Amino acid sequence: MTHSRSVPALAADGVGKRYGHVWGLRDCTFSVPAGSVVGLVGPNGAGKTTLLALTVGLLAPTEGEISVFGSPSRANTADTLARVSYLAQDHPLYRGFTVADMFRFGRSLNPGWDSGLAEARMATLGIPLRRKVKALSGGQQAQVALTMALAKRAPVLALDEPVASLDPLARLDFMRDVLAASAETGLTVIIASHVIAELERLCDWLIVLAGGRLQLAGAVDDLLARHAVLTVPRRTPDGDVPGTTIDRADSERHSTLLVAADPDLVAAAASQPGWAHEPVGFEQLVLAYLRRPPVTLAAVSLNQGGRAGTAGTAVRS
Amino acid sequence: MIWVTWRQHRAQAIAMLALLALFGIYGIAIGLWMRSAFNADGLPACLARSGGTDCGPAIASFFSRFSRGASVPLNVLPLIIPGFLGAVVGAPLLGAELERGTWQLAWSQTVPRGRWLAAKLGLVIGGLVVFGAAISAILTWARGPLDEVSIRLQPPPFSYEGIQLPCSLLCAFGLALLAGLLLRNTIAAMVVGYIAWEFPFLAATLLTGPFQFMETTVRIPCTGAACTAASTNSTPPVTGHLGDFVTSVTRSGNELIVTYLPAGRFWPLQFVVGGMYLAIAVAAIGTAVWLLHRRTT
Repeated sequence: MTHSRSVPALAADGVGKRYGHVWGLRDCTFSVPAGSVVGLVGPNGAGKTTLLALTVGLLAPTEGEISVFGSPSRANTADTLARVSYLAQDHPLYRGFTVADMFRFGRSLNPGWDSGLAEARMATLGIPLRRKVKALSGGQQAQVALTMALAKRAPVLALDEPVASLDPLARLDFMRDVLAASAETGLTVIIASHVIAELERLCDWLIVLAGGRLQLAGAVDDLLARHAVLTVPRRTPDGDVPGTTIDRADSERHSTLLVAADPDLVAAAASQPGWAHEPVGFEQLVLAYLRRPPVTLAAVSLNQGGRAGTAGTAVRS
Repeated sequence: MIWVTWRQHRAQAIAMLALLALFGIYGIAIGLWMRSAFNADGLPACLARSGGTDCGPAIASFFSRFSRGASVPLNVLPLIIPGFLGAVVGAPLLGAELERGTWQLAWSQTVPRGRWLAAKLGLVIGGLVVFGAAISAILTWARGPLDEVSIRLQPPPFSYEGIQLPCSLLCAFGLALLAGLLLRNTIAAMVVGYIAWEFPFLAATLLTGPFQFMETTVRIPCTGAACTAASTNSTPPVTGHLGDFVTSVTRSGNELIVTYLPAGRFWPLQFVVGGMYLAIAVAAIGTAVWLLHRRTT
């Protein structure tokens, strides 16, 4: 399947999902270009799984729309389903099926199914096709589920905690496979994960969710350029620092601030005596946004119409 | 979808085919035995001669052979089968997918949920109806001679002849399907589905009350012993017609007031009871489909 580069692979427009009285996700707007590898980060219950399920069409949004290559996922037609491969958390499989049965299931239900890829991957991993799923180890089951997602050959691959049950070597191999698929076929990948170091290697796009609200979304290079770490004298109030202070650590002599601000303003401010600035790292940036209480941020920059109060309440992921 | 449905219900299908084979063998054995006994008791000739009114002793002798022993399963098993099998097949169809999280796998392939569900329901319901009809056909054939001289309107065989068995199966299937969706647990859904099925089943089996609207009352003149000895369970019935289901007999002077279900009401009553089962099945399956649709839209 080929798609014009101008149509975003993933586009969320004011997406919200309510479970009963509680919003699991709210006011979510972003647009990801095709071929990106998107890291989706957030604490438990932030709405990551909800966002992925909405992308796949397993859930329909309560408000707004989420589209894959221009088609709303809520339509739940064969056409929209063919655009997204999904690996759910805990990699569900039919336990009584053999691996070959699982692949036949995939072949029966997906016109684009790539049998060659599926079988080659099992051969490489040394997983026998005739073995039952329940006789496989947790890591092997994860590999089978992941292989099914890859063999569907959809242009978008949505992975929910794909490496949680893999050993370190299998994680590396898996990440390599995903990057290779992305480079070869222009696959767009969205990965929810808690392993920030791994996302740093993989991703060129980042989405941070907390309390069901979007905290940060953008191309990684762009985000790193628009943030900086400033070291300032201890008593300096936030108001004297350019941009928005995301995170602040005060030590005896000076304070270290992570700010979202124009790089020129940061450079100008840092020329003051006693001030210094340095570029921000990926992990540092993510942790700063995760540490930040979502309510505060919603009130500062994402709140639309005084709904900040709901953002801090418990939500389902 | 056909292969997927087959693969997921393969074990159930094979078990049911095995059960069908056992019933086939058993039914043929009982049926042949019954036919030879029917002839040995001279019933064909007696029935042809008198239409049944003079055959009381011969019929009683014939009955006594089939009231216990090898023919007991004929009357007992069909009472358990629809509820049990319907619940076993219906509970996991949604319950297991939700319990194990595999719904996320099933509904993220290139087949919309609606089509997935329609294909599964169509194939499984089709299988259940064929299975129920086959068991029913075997038992109806096996009981053929007995049905000629006994009351088909009584719970056994009324509950497994005609259209009862497939309808009852679908009723239990639908209730267990809905229970699986609500409880998200296969075993609990089987138990709840089976228990829920007991209500319409008991209503149809034990209570004659619901069917009183189909009863007829007649006054039959009588004399002497015929007046005092008259009862609801005489053979042939006091109405003088084999197969009539007499529910009450009271004496009023030289008349008997007899309330009964005429044998000819077998089919209308089959459709009433079968329709009740089907209505429950349609309501339960429809609710499940609607809930599933609402959950995800």
